[in-house]
Amino acid sequence: MLIAVLIPLIFAIIVPYLSKFKQKVHTGIFVFFIPFSIFLYFIRFVGSDFEPVRQTYNWIPSLGINFDFYLDGLSLLFVLLISGIGSLVVLYSVYYLHVSERLGHFYLYLLMFMTAMLGVVLSDNVFVLYTFWELTSISSFLLIGYWHYRERSRYGAQKSMLITVFGGLSMLGGLVLLSNITGTTSIQAMIAQVDVILANDYLPLIMAFILLGAFTKSAQFPFHIWLPDAMEAPTPVSAYLHSATMVKAGIFLIARFSPIFSGYEWFFIVVSIVGIVTLCWASYMAVRQTDLKGILAFSTISQLGMIMAMLGFGTGAAVFAAVFHILNHATFKGSLFMIAGIIDHETGTRDIRKLGGLFTFMPMTGILAIFGTFSMAGIPLPFLNGFYSKEAFFASTLELESTGNAIASFLVEAIPYLAVFGSIFTFVYSMYLFFGVFTGPAKLDKLKTKPHEAPIGMLVSPFILVLGVIVIGLFPNLFNGTFLIHAAEAVNSTVELEKLKFWHGFITPLFMSLAVVGIGIVFYLTRQKWSNIYHVLPGKLSFNKVYDYIIKKLDDVSAKITDSYMTGSLKTYMTIILATILVVTTFFMVVTGGFTISTDNLAEVTFIEIAVVLVITIAAIATIFTNSKLGAILITGVVGYGVATLFVIYRAPDLALTQLVIETVSVALFLLCFYHLPKLRKRTEKASTKLGNAVISIGFGALMTIIAISAHSTDWFEPISNYFIETSYKLGGGHNIVNVILVDMRGLDTLFEITVLGIAALAIVSLIKLRHDKEAK
Amino acid sequence: MSNLVVLPIIIPLLAGVIVALFNKKVAVTRTLTKLFSILNLGVAAYLSWIVFTTDSIILETGEWVAPYGIILVADPLASLLVLTTNIVAVACAFYAPHSLSLRQETHYFYAFYFFLITGVSGAFLTGDLFNLFVFFEVLLMASYALIVLGGERIQLRESIKYVLINLFSSILFVTAVAFIYGAVGTVNMAQIAERVQIQGQDGVLTTVAILLFFVFATKAALFPLYYWMPKSYIVPNTVVSALFGALLTKVGIYSILRVFSLIFVHKLELTHETFIWIAGLSMLFGVIGALSTNNIKLIIAYNIIPAIGFILMGLGVFNQDGMSGSVYYLVHDMIIKTALFLIVGVIAYVAGTSDLRKMGGLIHYYPGLGWLLFVAAFVLAGIPPFSGFIGKLLLLQGTLSEYEVVITIIALISSLLILYSVMKIFIRGFWGEKDETGKYEKKSTKGLIGPIVYLLAFSIFLGVGAEWIVPSVESISTYLLDPEIYIESVLKE
Repeated sequence: MLIAVLIPLIFAIIVPYLSKFKQKVHTGIFVFFIPFSIFLYFIRFVGSDFEPVRQTYNWIPSLGINFDFYLDGLSLLFVLLISGIGSLVVLYSVYYLHVSERLGHFYLYLLMFMTAMLGVVLSDNVFVLYTFWELTSISSFLLIGYWHYRERSRYGAQKSMLITVFGGLSMLGGLVLLSNITGTTSIQAMIAQVDVILANDYLPLIMAFILLGAFTKSAQFPFHIWLPDAMEAPTPVSAYLHSATMVKAGIFLIARFSPIFSGYEWFFIVVSIVGIVTLCWASYMAVRQTDLKGILAFSTISQLGMIMAMLGFGTGAAVFAAVFHILNHATFKGSLFMIAGIIDHETGTRDIRKLGGLFTFMPMTGILAIFGTFSMAGIPLPFLNGFYSKEAFFASTLELESTGNAIASFLVEAIPYLAVFGSIFTFVYSMYLFFGVFTGPAKLDKLKTKPHEAPIGMLVSPFILVLGVIVIGLFPNLFNGTFLIHAAEAVNSTVELEKLKFWHGFITPLFMSLAVVGIGIVFYLTRQKWSNIYHVLPGKLSFNKVYDYIIKKLDDVSAKITDSYMTGSLKTYMTIILATILVVTTFFMVVTGGFTISTDNLAEVTFIEIAVVLVITIAAIATIFTNSKLGAILITGVVGYGVATLFVIYRAPDLALTQLVIETVSVALFLLCFYHLPKLRKRTEKASTKLGNAVISIGFGALMTIIAISAHSTDWFEPISNYFIETSYKLGGGHNIVNVILVDMRGLDTLFEITVLGIAALAIVSLIKLRHDKEAK
Repeated sequence: MSNLVVLPIIIPLLAGVIVALFNKKVAVTRTLTKLFSILNLGVAAYLSWIVFTTDSIILETGEWVAPYGIILVADPLASLLVLTTNIVAVACAFYAPHSLSLRQETHYFYAFYFFLITGVSGAFLTGDLFNLFVFFEVLLMASYALIVLGGERIQLRESIKYVLINLFSSILFVTAVAFIYGAVGTVNMAQIAERVQIQGQDGVLTTVAILLFFVFATKAALFPLYYWMPKSYIVPNTVVSALFGALLTKVGIYSILRVFSLIFVHKLELTHETFIWIAGLSMLFGVIGALSTNNIKLIIAYNIIPAIGFILMGLGVFNQDGMSGSVYYLVHDMIIKTALFLIVGVIAYVAGTSDLRKMGGLIHYYPGLGWLLFVAAFVLAGIPPFSGFIGKLLLLQGTLSEYEVVITIIALISSLLILYSVMKIFIRGFWGEKDETGKYEKKSTKGLIGPIVYLLAFSIFLGVGAEWIVPSVESISTYLLDPEIYIESVLKE
């Protein structure tokens, strides 16, 4: 299975080379064989005696990250969709994309996506699943941005990436939590420990993390906003990624984790609400769209919401209906996207306001569209698969039982009505899609080209999909026992195989369907009259605006925040740094009781020491108040000489000497530089600023003093200096301990201190010479 | 054998002196620089090999026994970081001749470059707190020289802030070392650890620890002490920015990792809990900074801050996964930050500007460069299967096993915004219509792309080939969580 998953990616590497021959052979023809052979490889697993297959290939066993492929019924359904629809889409793209396009890039991304998507549905290892999951986001980003010279493409690509990667990262958080709790990285092993997970205090968080991943990927309300903008991608991509496969990854994830979460009441509540709200909102919004692909995008969102809701219901019947609808949706929606592409290709526009009466020009396309749209609308006809799953959906909404929670009870009552409500609009836009494009007066003057029937090659793929619609419609039980039941069982083990029938008698779901059709027709015919409602809802309210607002604010607010403290003023920086250190260190000192003072170990203080220290202190304070440069330097010199005097008092003549030399040299240097330095300005600061600075400075000084006293007041250990005293002559051969320390005991320090001086000298040479050279030029 | 430890410090020191002598002959210094860099990489690799297959190597310099003399310790963490430093250094050595102006090259760039490596390697390898201060001085002095190299007005303006803030933290450093010596009577890190342990980190010790933390946090550019960093990192030549981004802040965070895993580990609920907060704020303010600008070099410079936050977060939770994550992330970030600085350097060069608003459609002229940036963005954001993911995964496992939920959510959001901040460069700079006005006449990127590919190859290897690295990093983590091993190997009493 590893090969089957990776082969598109491997093939993707040579695609750019194959695209060099695109003038002779369309690159898509080579590519077609990849998904098609994968389809053939997996189709042999279909059968009533199917048993899950597991294969493991090591990757990073130390972290438990391995390619654990697990092919169960659910994976098989998706794998066949990915490879099957994939083959048809590639075939379709051969006619859709002209050889002048960058075919190498296109198929590279598409193949990358195929590997990613196969990986998502086959991985049992959560982190490998996450890896492939992000890869789907990346390839989707690249495909949406395929025509990146268009502003809208860039916008759509960025939007989809931000929203889906956001969800992916959130999902990662949930997966890490799950693997921490269960001690395994395998989903199946997690399912086996469902009790442990359900007993964990952080269950709501885990579920929220995972659901965010699923909802963003499957474009659920309110994260659906990226999908309409993803329609900037070439149409084969929209049909494939943004309708049939990638957007179902979230559905897949929910289905995969259902055995874990279905025992948790809030899972039902959240997933059902989000699903049903998405269904209603998106189908309501779809009616308003004018772009064919826009209608289809919202329609996809709403259908995904419907599947999501059924997974939320979690009952055997609902899960089976969900799985069934995944298959059905792929057939009719895939064909409709391709038809939209054909119309765009042959008329030069996708704007439904400019289209009409195309049936006479494109009868073949029109016939295919009838099946696609009517199936989507769920019209009760025995040769449309959409009706069966729609009816199963209605039936499942009626079977819900309350668990006692007030919200849950309310939901159980409300869901059937909402289901009908959403489906009415589904009916309306389906009719609009067909009749608006294919009937009525033709508006040829608005089209750039005279419409004509599509080449036969372009019709093959949608034809095969429509064939699927009809075959499943006529023989709804064709795949049940061998295929769909295994998929449903993987989600809910209590699923029972029921025979699907067209006619159940006069039962409630049928009335619901009839109500949808009846009210739908009225709504469709009167749509001009009530379309003003869109000014009220959503009106100005739009989640797109929220997204745009956030993105704009991200830039603006971050700039504002950053500019507010990155002032470029050293004084501000130092104030913040000192204040932070002061506050935090003081806090720690207080909390840990760090202050100690002990006078045990002190020598007697003499008068002369007091005098010197006083001079130093006064001089140090005086530097702040002087306005003359010369004065400041000289007073600083006083401090230095004072310190040197202290060294003399403590009988450290070499230190005193060093200090004196340094002081003298630096004062002399300063005086030399004076000529070039600007005058000191009289500081004009507000009194409050001055006060603040004073508090910080004095506080910082006090803190340092207190720490110094405390550090000195400990006598826990014997300092290592005694060793130096003992061994200075014995091992170092010198009576002057300081000298021995400098050149021998800690010779490495000295070596590198010299290096520091050397670098400084070199730096100054470099700086001066560079300036000099520049001026010379 | 134990003299091996000093070689990664001495070789660049000597190399620096030698190339300074040959300064006028640029062809010679370029060749020597490449040769010495590769030699040092070889030595570092050999050192790591020995350390990982046998044991830490201890060198008592001048035969003065521990804890009295200066001890160099090549333990697994130090040798891994020295190795990474040299991997990065080689890339910069090959990139530099194509990026620098001749004037910069002949004004001792290569000498300063080697001195910088000397200081960094020394800081990683020393086992003595005062000696650490000395190596900090070496690398800072070299960095002062590098930051003004070129002598542009803006360089001088930004470097004065850089120098002053770093001088301040150096003063604070040496003061803190004095306090520690005053309290426990030693500067040998193993012995400090031993004595702090005996004393149970009582009295003034935690206060001094926090002071030391602030010293390192200033160097590491953690919140709220990083003001000096972003703008000063972008004024010098790209190759200098890359070296700074890869090495300087990392020495700071390494020191925090070392000191707060070896020495001050007896008040975790105070110190390390605080680190988690600081880590979170660093991530947030770092990405906010990265989003605030259209200067592509500044975007990368700001991205240093959240990365340091990630590393500190692992130390904050202080468990096996967290520490492994910190170390993995540290290595990953050294490599990818260098790569990104080198990439934006090339972008700024070919586009003739660092301002993102003035770019567009570059991919029509420089597709290879665009895809390198694309991959680097995902590496940086920790998207699998690249190096950042492994580090981030370990870190998340570390934080979530302690149920540190808030910091985890901050880390996840930061990852997204990091990705956004760098992808902005790709979307706005590379995508778009082909510019026909001849603004982007084909410029030669000869010699600039190779080092980037080389670094990204390491990033990809660290992700895809993680199985070769993870066990070593986990052994480092085990080692760091048990200070006894270090103490005994140095003091061996």
